[in-house]
Parts: sequence; C-alpha cells; structure tokens
Amino acid sequence: MSLFGTASSFGTGGTGVFGTTTTDSHNPMKDVEVTSPPDDSISCLAFSPPTMPGNFLIAGSWANDVRCWEVQDNGQTVPKAQQMHTGPVLDVCWSDDGSKVFTASCDKTAKMWDLNSNQAMQIAQHDGPIKAIHWIKAPNYSCVMTGSWDKTLKFWDTRSPTPMMSLQMPERCYCADVVYPMAVVATAERGLIVYQLENQPSEFRRIDSPLKHQHRCVAIFKDKQNKPTGFALGSIEGRVAIHYINPPNPAKDNFTFKCHRSNGTNTTTPQDIYAVNAIAFHPVHGTLATVGSDGRFSFWDKDARTKLKTSEQLDQPITACCFNHNGNIFAYASSYDWSKVRGLT
Amino acid sequence: MGRKKKKQMKPWCWYCNRDFDDEKILIQHQKAKHFKCHICHKKLYTGPGLAIHCMQVHKETIDSVPNAIPGRTDIELEIYGMEGIPEKDMQERRRTLEQKSQESQKKKNNQDDSDEDDDDDEAGPSVSQVPAVAPQASYAVPMTQPGMPPVAGAPGLHHPGYQGMPPMMPGVPPMMHGMPPAMPGMPPAMMPMGGMMPPMIPGMPGIPPAMPPHMAPRPGMPHVAPAPAAGPIPSRPAVPVTQPAVAKPLFPSAAQAQQNAPGAAASNPLTAAVTADPPKATFPAYTQPSVSSSSASSSNPSSSTVVKPPATVTSKPATLTTTSATSKLIHPDEDISLEEMKAQLPRYQRLIPRPGQALAAAAPSVPAVGGIMPPQQGLPPQQPGMRHPLHGQYGAPPQGMPGYIPGGIPPYGQGPPLVPPYQGGPPMGMRPPVMSPAGRY
Repeated sequence: MSLFGTASSFGTGGTGVFGTTTTDSHNPMKDVEVTSPPDDSISCLAFSPPTMPGNFLIAGSWANDVRCWEVQDNGQTVPKAQQMHTGPVLDVCWSDDGSKVFTASCDKTAKMWDLNSNQAMQIAQHDGPIKAIHWIKAPNYSCVMTGSWDKTLKFWDTRSPTPMMSLQMPERCYCADVVYPMAVVATAERGLIVYQLENQPSEFRRIDSPLKHQHRCVAIFKDKQNKPTGFALGSIEGRVAIHYINPPNPAKDNFTFKCHRSNGTNTTTPQDIYAVNAIAFHPVHGTLATVGSDGRFSFWDKDARTKLKTSEQLDQPITACCFNHNGNIFAYASSYDWSKVRGLT
Repeated sequence: MGRKKKKQMKPWCWYCNRDFDDEKILIQHQKAKHFKCHICHKKLYTGPGLAIHCMQVHKETIDSVPNAIPGRTDIELEIYGMEGIPEKDMQERRRTLEQKSQESQKKKNNQDDSDEDDDDDEAGPSVSQVPAVAPQASYAVPMTQPGMPPVAGAPGLHHPGYQGMPPMMPGVPPMMHGMPPAMPGMPPAMMPMGGMMPPMIPGMPGIPPAMPPHMAPRPGMPHVAPAPAAGPIPSRPAVPVTQPAVAKPLFPSAAQAQQNAPGAAASNPLTAAVTADPPKATFPAYTQPSVSSSSASSSNPSSSTVVKPPATVTSKPATLTTTSATSKLIHPDEDISLEEMKAQLPRYQRLIPRPGQALAAAAPSVPAVGGIMPPQQGLPPQQPGMRHPLHGQYGAPPQGMPGYIPGGIPPYGQGPPLVPPYQGGPPMGMRPPVMSPAGRY
C-alpha cells in the first residue's frame, strides 16, 4: 500500500502526514488526521461538553464500534477507548456532565457507556434500528431520547428498562436535534416535527417541510439570548433550509440555500447535486457548517446569508461533522474510514 | 393581505414571469438576470440602459433581454420592477392567475428558489412558512417565489383555531401539492379560518386549484377570498383526488410511470408525488437549471410508506425522479435514506460483533450504496492482511474497492465520473492500512 502517501503513516498512529505534494484528494485541506480511525464508514461524531476538561471526540461507525479519542491542543489525537455494539452504530451523544456517552445502533438498542469505568450497558430497546439519540437535561427531569426507524420516539430514564414516554411519529426518524427546551425530528416522507420539552416532552408542532426532497440532517440554532429559535434542515438535494419557529416575518426570515453541488449553473453539463450529510452550528459564532456527499465541507453565515468558505474536495463523501464545545475544533469524517480533526483558530 | 392590491397581487417579473415577495427583490432579480451585461457583468437598471451600455462601452449591440421568455425579450421597453409593464400584459397576467386559481391544478413546485447570482450559493428568498405563530390572524403567508418553494405553507392555516399542534399539518403548503397525506386531517379544522389566505394565492396556482372543489359554494374568489384559509386546506385532500393527472398518488409505480413520461423537463418531482402536467407548463420559462423537486414529494401518502418497512423493503419503494436536463441528484433512486440502504446490505445484517474488522471499505454512506448489494463480486480475499475472509460477502472491498461499489457500479447510473471521489480509484491504496484494525489499538 502506500500508493497514497496518506495511507502510509496510518498504521503507526502518527498524525496525518500527507506526504504527497500533488493533489492530495484524500486530505486536501491538510487537516490533522485522527489516529486509529474506525474501519468502516463513520456515521456520527460528537465532542465532549464544556463540563469536562479537555476535548474528547467520540465517533460511531458502521463497523459496530464506538471509539473515543482525546484531542490535544496541538491537534494530536490519542485513542482512548472503544465499545462495541452488535450492529452498526448510527448516532452518539454525550451526557451533560461528560461522564457518559450514549450510543444508538442498528441492533435496535442504545447503550450508555460510562467512561470512567469503561462499561457499557443497554438502556433502550426499539423495534427497529435507532437512528438518533440525544440526552435531555431539563430542570425537573433528565432522560435519553431515541428516535428509531420503527416510527417511535422514546424517552428513557437510564435506570429503567421501560421508556418513560413513547411518542408515535408519522414516519421513520431520519435525524433529530435537541437544545432544551426544543427538539426537532425530521422523518421519512419529509416529515418535520417540533417537540417542546418543558415539564415533559410533547409534540409542539408539525411543520410543512420547507424542502422538497428527503430530509437528511437537522441542527437547532440559538438566538442571541442563547435560546433555541429555529433549525437548519438539510436534504439529499444539496439544499439546506433555515427555519425559525416563530419568526416575525416567516416569508422573509425563513429561506433555503443550495449547497454541495458540482458545477455552476453556467456549464452545459448537468449539475451534480449531492446530499447534505450533516449540519453543525458553531457554538460561539452561530455560523453553520455543512458537509456533503460531494466530499466538501462549507461554512455559512445564516444571518448575512452568505457562504464563508468551502473546502477543497476530498476523495470521499464527508459523512459527519461537529464542533467542539468552544468552537475551536471542527471535526469531520470522510467515509473511507478516515476521520480528521481541524483546528479553527 | 388583500389580493387586489399591488399590481397583480405580488410583484412579478415581466421578462420571465416569476413571482416575488416584494418589489425590491424583484428589482434585484431583474438587475441580476435581465439587466446584467454579459461582457463585464455590470448590472444596469433597465433594458434600454443595458443596450446603451453595451454599445458605448463594448461596442456591441444586443437585441434581446437575457434570460427572458420568448415574447418578452424586447430590449426597448423600459421596465423597472413593476413599472412600465404594458397594460395588456398586466391584464393577461391577471387572467392567467385567475385561471390558475380556478383550475384544480397542482402547481408544480419549482425548485429554484434562490435568485442565483453567479456568486456562491446565496440564500434565496424562498419562503418557508412556519405554521403561523400566533393564531391570530395575520397570516402573512409566505408567498414564495415564483412558484416555489413550498414550504410550509399553510402556516396560517393551522392556527386559527389550533393553538397547539394540529395533528398533521401539512397541508396547505401552497406549493406542495404533494402533501396529501397530511391533508385529510386538516380540513375540518381549517374551515373556520376564513380570511387569510390571500397571500397564498398569487403564487400558487396550486392552492387555488384545490379550492374549486370545495369552494364551490363560495363565490368565485380566485384568490381565495373568503375563508381563504379554508379554501386551500380543505381542498387539499381533494387535490390529489381531483387532479386529473394525479391519479391518486397512492401507487408509486403508477405515479412513476406518469412522471417519467413527462420527462423531467424542468423539474424532478418525486415520483410518488403526482405532478400534473399542467404545472409543468407554467414553468417553461424558467431557464435556470433547477432540480425541481416537486411538489408532490410527499405524495407518497400512506400507502407507499406502509409498504416499506425500514429494514425489509419488499415492494419497491417510491423512487425519486432525480434527473432533469440540467441537474442530477447523486442519490440512489429509492426514496429511503442512505443509512437504510446500507443497513440492508447483507454485510450488516449479521449482527455479530466485528471488532475491528476491517472489512473494507467503508461502505460509503453516500450514493455508492445505491446498488445495494451489488454482489461484491467475489473478491478473492487476497488482501494481505485482510482479514476478512470471514465474511464472504465482502470480499470485494479489500481490493481496495470501496466497499460497496465494486466495479464502480454507478448506482445511479452515473458512472464513476460523476462521483469522482467515490468510485474506486483512490481508495485503492488506502485500504490496506486500514485493514489492520485490530492491530491498531
């Protein structure tokens, strides 16, 4: 191997050394590559919350495993631990205190991984693969929310095998996001439901999709007072919709923009339109990052409605992304089993 | 908003017949699309201004307005925003709008919501409507742009009466005809609304069409006047039913056949969605490449969804019509998520722990999967260090072929070139290192 310079250093655990000078489509941005990445596509990434010192990155993959790395300030990554499921892992999330990681898998279960003891126990069961998992911390309760392809959204107290609550959805859950007190779930058939979590979770509103194609990813954003006020929804059609829940002027405030498309409109060849695989908001600036199947990531400012930057094209689609708690690090996963960490300062 | 105000309800561009939310946006559109010099990209204010500029600065004559529909290319007509539009064209437009509102046609949603400039993807003023915030009136329904973007539509609709969450919202999206499934629930609730929907109409031929059936008793309001809200909403359920072309979006295959027929001239409706032919006709003017997705989208109403349980798709799931003359959606045809497609692959069906099994190549979560299982071709596990022989199926991957796409099966019929990153090539070298996972930790 080592047809590609990039590959060579892998096994040794060194940080990305992308030797090749010529167009390196594997890591064209020369970002730091994480050591020991999973062996199959990465489905999800999550950084540890601010309550924990340091930055720890969790990645779930189609190789049934969940891996944890510590990301140091100089960008080096140190593999720390790993847990397994019996099916591909589709989503991961941290508890608010950073001591536990919740993982959701195609094996229809979700597990709680206690990092201190490195033990994982099952905390949820569905009738179908669990696609989305989020930790909810409310003043009067805490629970794990799981959205599954069995069309239900369940809330679990980790100590009990039966869910605290189960809500029926019109269709399979494709993606979800939670920023207390709001939760948004996007389902198959372009369904979109907003839940309010105060007191106890309940369905707040079903929204007509602003997009015309299959929903793929969703991320909630906050207003200047740090309260969730809307969400960004990405579809398979290279488009993201910015949608406010209660805007003063919906016609003007809500909008969609195109992204992750191949040629400009000037060329005569058909434009290739790629799916938006994940969206993440910068915790401080409120700018958003989108990653797509075209192998690029882009940063956008939704308030100024402009694109800030687009990366070079990687050779594989980018399947997941996330920012660390203070926005200094942006991690994205490229599906041929390589994942990278990008410093933003 | 009262419909009658504002010349023709909402500002529209005389050159290309697109609708806009307000005149400012219309003017920006005209400057960018019709009054922009093709040589130096300077934006002028009017057609004659552009002609004079080209003559004086570049010594070139231009005789028609760029990006204008045939019949509206007169470079000498001084039109600025809505001013200068010849009266007969105004009347014609009014008539067309009324006509559209009366026929029960589904309006096809045109994808292109943003007014694109040549710069990067900018957000376009498309509208998405959130179910009205306050139940109180003022629907300010978003009016989307030239027929587009659907969005939420009906925000107002729900609310009047509902404070909480109307069960299925949907509905009204002016553009979306496709929302049938949701509709049924709405009608009862909506009726009371009264009065708001005017905004919807202008743009949406779709909505009005719906009205007719229900609106029968109501005296013609092309625009929805009374009970505007009610109109569109109740009509929704009817829409799918009454649409001539739609033929009950219940059967994806039938719908597809229908969809494929028209070809995707300017839009790519999701197959299940039923898109009537007439809507297509209204958009021929749109010159922009657009991936139009249409309205129907959600038309796959319950029936089709019922048949496809996530893990085992026995009947063919609804497919997306993903190509048009100008754009192509890089996604497998079936309208299920990429993860669901991947999960169906045999390699992931065995729920056995695979500690560090390399297996290969990551099944790219994206498109590549389209093929679903293109038998990974045999794959002699030759990989040095590949361990995998265990699972026969994967064989292929080791070769460096990215997992599921052995042989570059262009899942979408595209062939490697389109998805350059993915197809085979590069990974080749890479795989091996990855493969030795076990070693890694």
